[in-house]
Amino acid sequence: MAQAALVNRHMPVVWRVAYRMLKDREEAEDVTQETFLRAWKMLPDWQDRAKFSTWACTVAINLCRDKLKKRAPVLMDELPEHEDSGLKPDQALSQKQAGERISALIDALPDRQKEALTLCAFEGMGNIEAAESMGISVEALESLLSRARRKLRDQLAEVQEA
Amino acid sequence: MTMTDERLLDLIETYGAEPMGWPEAERDAALAHLSANRVQFEPALRDARLIDGILAIDEMPDVPSGLAERILAVAPQAGASRRGIGARLRSIIMPNGARWPAGAALASLAMGLVGGYATAATSSDLYPSTEETVVYAALGYDGLSNFLEEVDG
Repeated sequence: MAQAALVNRHMPVVWRVAYRMLKDREEAEDVTQETFLRAWKMLPDWQDRAKFSTWACTVAINLCRDKLKKRAPVLMDELPEHEDSGLKPDQALSQKQAGERISALIDALPDRQKEALTLCAFEGMGNIEAAESMGISVEALESLLSRARRKLRDQLAEVQEA
Repeated sequence: MTMTDERLLDLIETYGAEPMGWPEAERDAALAHLSANRVQFEPALRDARLIDGILAIDEMPDVPSGLAERILAVAPQAGASRRGIGARLRSIIMPNGARWPAGAALASLAMGLVGGYATAATSSDLYPSTEETVVYAALGYDGLSNFLEEVDG
Protein backbone atom coordinates (compact mmCIF):
# COMPACT_ATOMS: atom_id res chain seq x y z
CA MET A 1 0.00 0.00 0.00
CA ALA A 2 2.80 2.40 0.85
CA GLN A 3 4.59 1.68 -2.40
CA ALA A 4 1.35 2.20 -4.33
CA ALA A 5 0.79 5.51 -2.55
CA LEU A 6 4.28 6.63 -3.45
CA VAL A 7 3.81 5.66 -7.10
CA ASN A 8 0.34 7.20 -7.36
CA ARG A 9 1.54 10.45 -5.89
CA HIS A 10 4.84 10.92 -7.70
CA MET A 11 4.87 8.78 -10.84
CA PRO A 12 2.66 11.11 -12.95
CA VAL A 13 4.97 14.05 -12.24
CA VAL A 14 8.07 12.03 -13.12
CA TRP A 15 6.44 10.82 -16.32
CA ARG A 16 5.30 14.30 -17.37
CA VAL A 17 8.75 15.77 -16.70
CA ALA A 18 10.35 12.98 -18.75
CA TYR A 19 7.80 13.32 -21.55
CA ARG A 20 8.24 17.08 -21.78
CA MET A 21 11.99 16.62 -22.02
CA LEU A 22 12.01 13.72 -24.46
CA LYS A 23 8.72 14.03 -26.36
CA ASP A 24 8.68 10.28 -26.70
CA ARG A 25 6.22 8.13 -24.77
CA GLU A 26 8.37 5.01 -24.71
CA GLU A 27 11.49 6.81 -23.61
CA ALA A 28 9.55 8.74 -20.98
CA GLU A 29 8.18 5.44 -19.69
CA ASP A 30 11.70 3.97 -19.56
CA VAL A 31 12.90 6.95 -17.57
CA THR A 32 9.95 6.72 -15.18
CA GLN A 33 10.47 3.01 -14.59
CA GLU A 34 14.20 3.44 -14.10
CA THR A 35 13.61 6.27 -11.64
CA PHE A 36 11.37 4.11 -9.47
CA LEU A 37 13.64 1.11 -9.86
CA ARG A 38 16.39 3.23 -8.33
CA ALA A 39 13.96 4.41 -5.66
CA TRP A 40 13.17 0.84 -4.64
CA LYS A 41 16.89 0.14 -4.34
CA MET A 42 17.42 3.28 -2.28
CA LEU A 43 14.56 2.69 0.15
CA PRO A 44 16.48 0.83 2.84
CA ASP A 45 18.93 3.75 3.09
CA TRP A 46 16.41 6.53 2.54
CA GLN A 47 16.83 8.35 5.86
CA ASP A 48 18.36 11.82 5.64
CA ARG A 49 17.86 11.93 1.91
CA ALA A 50 16.11 14.77 0.07
CA LYS A 51 12.36 15.04 -0.28
CA PHE A 52 11.22 12.19 -2.51
CA SER A 53 9.78 14.45 -5.23
CA THR A 54 13.06 16.39 -5.47
CA TRP A 55 15.11 13.23 -5.57
CA ALA A 56 12.86 11.59 -8.18
CA CYS A 57 12.88 14.65 -10.45
CA THR A 58 16.67 14.90 -10.18
CA VAL A 59 17.07 11.27 -11.21
CA ALA A 60 14.54 11.62 -14.03
CA ILE A 61 16.12 14.82 -15.36
CA ASN A 62 19.58 13.26 -15.35
CA LEU A 63 18.29 10.19 -17.16
CA CYS A 64 16.59 12.43 -19.72
CA ARG A 65 19.78 14.43 -20.23
CA ASP A 66 21.67 11.19 -20.88
CA LYS A 67 19.10 10.12 -23.44
CA LEU A 68 19.13 13.51 -25.15
CA LYS A 69 22.92 13.46 -25.40
CA LYS A 70 22.81 10.07 -27.08
CA ARG A 71 19.96 11.00 -29.35
CA ALA A 72 21.47 13.57 -31.70
CA PRO A 73 24.58 15.73 -32.09
CA VAL A 74 22.74 18.78 -30.84
CA LEU A 75 24.28 20.23 -27.71
CA MET A 76 22.13 21.41 -24.84
CA ASP A 77 21.26 25.10 -25.03
CA GLU A 78 22.23 25.10 -28.68
CA LEU A 79 18.87 24.16 -30.04
CA PRO A 80 17.40 26.57 -32.55
CA GLU A 81 16.40 29.83 -30.93
CA HIS A 82 13.41 30.07 -33.17
CA GLU A 83 11.27 27.58 -34.94
CA ASP A 84 8.67 28.67 -37.43
CA SER A 85 5.43 27.47 -35.94
CA GLY A 86 3.53 28.21 -39.12
CA LEU A 87 0.87 29.93 -37.05
CA LYS A 88 -1.01 32.56 -39.02
CA PRO A 89 -3.22 35.03 -37.19
CA ASP A 90 -5.98 34.77 -39.75
CA GLN A 91 -6.17 31.01 -39.44
CA ALA A 92 -9.12 29.74 -37.54
CA LEU A 93 -7.33 27.12 -35.52
CA SER A 94 -9.06 24.44 -33.63
CA GLN A 95 -8.02 24.06 -30.04
CA LYS A 96 -6.09 20.92 -30.95
CA GLN A 97 -4.15 22.65 -33.71
CA ALA A 98 -3.41 25.59 -31.44
CA GLY A 99 -2.22 23.21 -28.74
CA GLU A 100 0.10 21.45 -31.16
CA ARG A 101 1.61 24.72 -32.34
CA ILE A 102 2.11 25.93 -28.82
CA SER A 103 3.79 22.63 -27.97
CA ALA A 104 6.10 23.24 -30.92
CA LEU A 105 7.04 26.66 -29.57
CA ILE A 106 7.82 25.18 -26.16
CA ASP A 107 9.72 22.25 -27.67
CA ALA A 108 11.93 24.69 -29.54
CA LEU A 109 13.21 26.15 -26.27
CA PRO A 110 16.70 25.09 -25.15
CA ASP A 111 16.58 22.00 -22.94
CA ARG A 112 17.55 23.70 -19.70
CA GLN A 113 14.92 26.38 -20.16
CA LYS A 114 12.38 23.69 -20.87
CA GLU A 115 13.38 21.82 -17.72
CA ALA A 116 12.92 24.96 -15.61
CA LEU A 117 9.58 25.75 -17.21
CA THR A 118 8.39 22.17 -16.78
CA LEU A 119 9.17 22.03 -13.09
CA CYS A 120 7.94 25.51 -12.13
CA ALA A 121 5.22 26.46 -14.59
CA PHE A 122 3.76 23.05 -15.44
CA GLU A 123 4.34 21.08 -12.26
CA GLY A 124 4.01 24.00 -9.86
CA MET A 125 7.22 23.13 -8.04
CA GLY A 126 8.66 25.79 -5.73
CA ASN A 127 11.79 27.59 -6.89
CA ILE A 128 14.08 26.07 -4.25
CA GLU A 129 12.98 22.51 -4.97
CA ALA A 130 13.11 23.03 -8.75
CA ALA A 131 16.62 24.46 -8.53
CA GLU A 132 17.69 21.54 -6.36
CA SER A 133 16.17 19.06 -8.80
CA MET A 134 18.11 20.62 -11.65
CA GLY A 135 21.30 20.89 -9.63
CA ILE A 136 21.55 24.67 -10.04
CA SER A 137 21.14 27.79 -7.91
CA VAL A 138 17.82 29.59 -7.53
CA GLU A 139 19.34 32.56 -9.38
CA ALA A 140 20.28 30.33 -12.31
CA LEU A 141 16.78 28.83 -12.31
CA GLU A 142 15.21 32.28 -12.40
CA SER A 143 17.47 33.26 -15.26
CA LEU A 144 16.39 30.19 -17.24
CA LEU A 145 12.72 30.84 -16.51
CA SER A 146 12.77 34.48 -17.51
CA ARG A 147 14.72 33.70 -20.68
CA ALA A 148 12.24 30.97 -21.58
CA ARG A 149 9.26 33.25 -21.09
CA ARG A 150 10.94 36.09 -22.98
CA LYS A 151 11.69 33.76 -25.87
CA LEU A 152 8.10 32.55 -25.99
CA ARG A 153 6.85 36.13 -25.91
CA ASP A 154 9.19 37.14 -28.76
CA GLN A 155 8.15 34.15 -30.84
CA LEU A 156 4.50 34.98 -30.33
CA ALA A 157 5.15 38.57 -31.33
CA GLU A 158 6.89 37.40 -34.50
CA VAL A 159 3.99 35.12 -35.30
CA GLN A 160 1.52 37.95 -34.84
CA GLU A 161 3.56 40.25 -37.06
CA ALA A 162 3.90 37.65 -39.81
CA MET B 1 10.99 41.14 3.45
CA THR B 2 11.47 44.33 1.47
CA MET B 3 10.17 44.38 -2.07
CA THR B 4 11.54 46.66 -4.76
CA ASP B 5 10.13 47.64 -8.14
CA GLU B 6 12.93 45.76 -9.83
CA ARG B 7 12.38 42.54 -7.90
CA LEU B 8 8.62 42.59 -8.44
CA LEU B 9 9.21 43.02 -12.15
CA ASP B 10 11.62 40.07 -12.01
CA LEU B 11 9.01 37.94 -10.27
CA ILE B 12 6.37 38.74 -12.88
CA GLU B 13 8.72 38.11 -15.78
CA THR B 14 10.12 34.95 -14.23
CA TYR B 15 7.13 33.25 -12.63
CA GLY B 16 4.20 34.85 -14.43
CA ALA B 17 1.25 37.01 -13.46
CA GLU B 18 -0.30 34.55 -11.02
CA PRO B 19 0.92 35.32 -7.47
CA MET B 20 0.54 31.67 -6.47
CA GLY B 21 3.44 30.92 -8.78
CA TRP B 22 5.74 33.40 -7.05
CA PRO B 23 8.16 32.16 -4.39
CA GLU B 24 6.29 31.77 -1.14
CA ALA B 25 8.89 33.68 0.86
CA GLU B 26 8.41 36.80 -1.28
CA ARG B 27 4.71 36.52 -2.13
CA ASP B 28 3.18 38.65 0.60
CA ALA B 29 5.67 41.49 0.16
CA ALA B 30 5.26 41.32 -3.61
CA LEU B 31 1.47 41.42 -3.38
CA ALA B 32 1.57 44.40 -1.02
CA HIS B 33 3.95 46.22 -3.35
CA LEU B 34 1.79 45.38 -6.34
CA SER B 35 -1.42 46.59 -4.78
CA ALA B 36 0.25 49.91 -3.95
CA ASN B 37 1.64 50.33 -7.48
CA ARG B 38 -0.83 48.46 -9.67
CA VAL B 39 -0.77 50.78 -12.69
CA GLN B 40 3.01 50.73 -12.93
CA PHE B 41 3.11 46.94 -13.27
CA GLU B 42 0.07 46.48 -15.48
CA PRO B 43 2.05 46.23 -18.77
CA ALA B 44 4.32 43.54 -17.29
CA LEU B 45 1.31 41.68 -15.90
CA ARG B 46 -0.41 41.83 -19.31
CA ASP B 47 2.66 40.35 -21.03
CA ALA B 48 2.98 37.66 -18.38
CA ARG B 49 -0.71 36.73 -18.64
CA LEU B 50 -0.25 36.10 -22.35
CA ILE B 51 2.53 33.59 -21.68
CA ASP B 52 0.60 32.07 -18.77
CA GLY B 53 -2.31 31.53 -21.15
CA ILE B 54 -0.07 29.89 -23.72
CA LEU B 55 1.42 27.55 -21.13
CA ALA B 56 -2.04 26.71 -19.80
CA ILE B 57 -3.26 25.34 -23.13
CA ASP B 58 -0.15 23.33 -23.92
CA GLU B 59 -1.24 19.76 -24.44
CA MET B 60 0.01 16.88 -22.38
CA PRO B 61 -0.82 13.25 -23.13
CA ASP B 62 -2.13 11.00 -20.40
CA VAL B 63 0.23 8.83 -18.40
CA PRO B 64 0.45 5.42 -20.13
CA SER B 65 -2.09 2.99 -18.77
CA GLY B 66 -0.62 0.22 -16.69
CA LEU B 67 2.61 2.09 -15.99
CA ALA B 68 1.91 2.28 -12.25
CA GLU B 69 1.26 -1.47 -12.18
CA ARG B 70 4.48 -2.19 -14.07
CA ILE B 71 6.45 -0.08 -11.61
CA LEU B 72 4.77 -1.68 -8.61
CA ALA B 73 5.43 -5.14 -10.01
CA VAL B 74 9.13 -4.70 -9.28
CA ALA B 75 8.67 -2.84 -6.00
CA PRO B 76 9.94 -4.49 -2.82
CA GLN B 77 6.92 -6.12 -1.26
CA ALA B 78 6.05 -5.97 2.41
CA GLY B 79 7.02 -9.31 3.87
CA ALA B 80 9.29 -10.15 0.97
CA SER B 81 11.89 -11.34 3.42
CA ARG B 82 9.36 -13.72 4.95
CA ARG B 83 8.64 -15.30 1.58
CA GLY B 84 12.35 -15.37 0.99
CA ILE B 85 12.75 -17.53 4.07
CA GLY B 86 10.10 -19.92 2.76
CA ALA B 87 11.72 -20.13 -0.64
CA ARG B 88 15.15 -20.71 0.81
CA LEU B 89 13.77 -23.37 3.13
CA ARG B 90 12.09 -25.17 0.23
CA SER B 91 15.21 -25.00 -1.89
CA ILE B 92 17.31 -26.42 0.95
CA ILE B 93 14.89 -29.31 1.52
CA MET B 94 14.20 -29.98 -2.16
CA PRO B 95 17.05 -28.72 -4.30
CA ASN B 96 15.66 -30.67 -7.28
CA GLY B 97 12.00 -30.51 -6.42
CA ALA B 98 9.82 -33.19 -4.76
CA ARG B 99 10.79 -36.30 -6.74
CA TRP B 100 10.61 -39.00 -4.10
CA PRO B 101 8.29 -39.84 -1.19
CA ALA B 102 10.68 -38.67 1.50
CA GLY B 103 10.97 -35.44 -0.39
CA ALA B 104 7.19 -35.13 -0.49
CA ALA B 105 7.00 -35.74 3.26
CA LEU B 106 9.62 -33.11 3.87
CA ALA B 107 7.80 -30.81 1.48
CA SER B 108 4.60 -31.24 3.53
CA LEU B 109 6.53 -30.42 6.67
CA ALA B 110 8.07 -27.42 5.03
CA MET B 111 4.71 -26.22 3.70
CA GLY B 112 3.27 -26.61 7.20
CA LEU B 113 6.08 -24.57 8.66
CA VAL B 114 5.80 -21.91 5.99
CA GLY B 115 2.00 -21.88 6.26
CA GLY B 116 2.16 -21.50 10.01
CA TYR B 117 4.63 -18.70 9.66
CA ALA B 118 2.47 -17.00 7.05
CA THR B 119 -0.62 -17.27 9.28
CA ALA B 120 1.26 -15.83 12.19
CA ALA B 121 2.56 -13.10 9.93
CA THR B 122 -0.96 -12.10 8.87
CA SER B 123 -1.74 -10.63 12.25
CA SER B 124 1.36 -8.47 12.02
CA ASP B 125 0.30 -7.08 8.62
CA LEU B 126 -1.43 -4.33 10.56
CA TYR B 127 2.01 -2.99 11.26
CA PRO B 128 4.04 -1.51 8.44
CA SER B 129 7.19 -3.24 7.30
CA THR B 130 10.51 -1.42 7.41
CA GLU B 131 10.14 -0.62 3.70
CA GLU B 132 6.67 0.82 4.26
CA THR B 133 7.79 2.90 7.21
CA VAL B 134 10.52 4.39 5.06
CA VAL B 135 8.09 5.07 2.20
CA TYR B 136 5.62 6.84 4.49
CA ALA B 137 8.48 8.91 5.89
CA ALA B 138 9.49 9.80 2.33
CA LEU B 139 5.93 10.88 1.71
CA GLY B 140 6.10 13.08 4.76
CA TYR B 141 3.86 11.01 7.06
CA ASP B 142 4.59 9.42 10.38
CA GLY B 143 2.87 6.26 9.28
CA LEU B 144 -0.07 4.60 7.59
CA SER B 145 -2.66 6.12 9.92
CA ASN B 146 -1.53 9.67 9.18
CA PHE B 147 -1.44 8.93 5.47
CA LEU B 148 -4.98 7.51 5.52
CA GLU B 149 -6.23 10.48 7.53
CA GLU B 150 -5.16 12.84 4.77
CA VAL B 151 -6.27 10.62 1.89
CA ASP B 152 -9.66 10.02 3.46
CA GLY B 153 -9.96 13.66 4.42
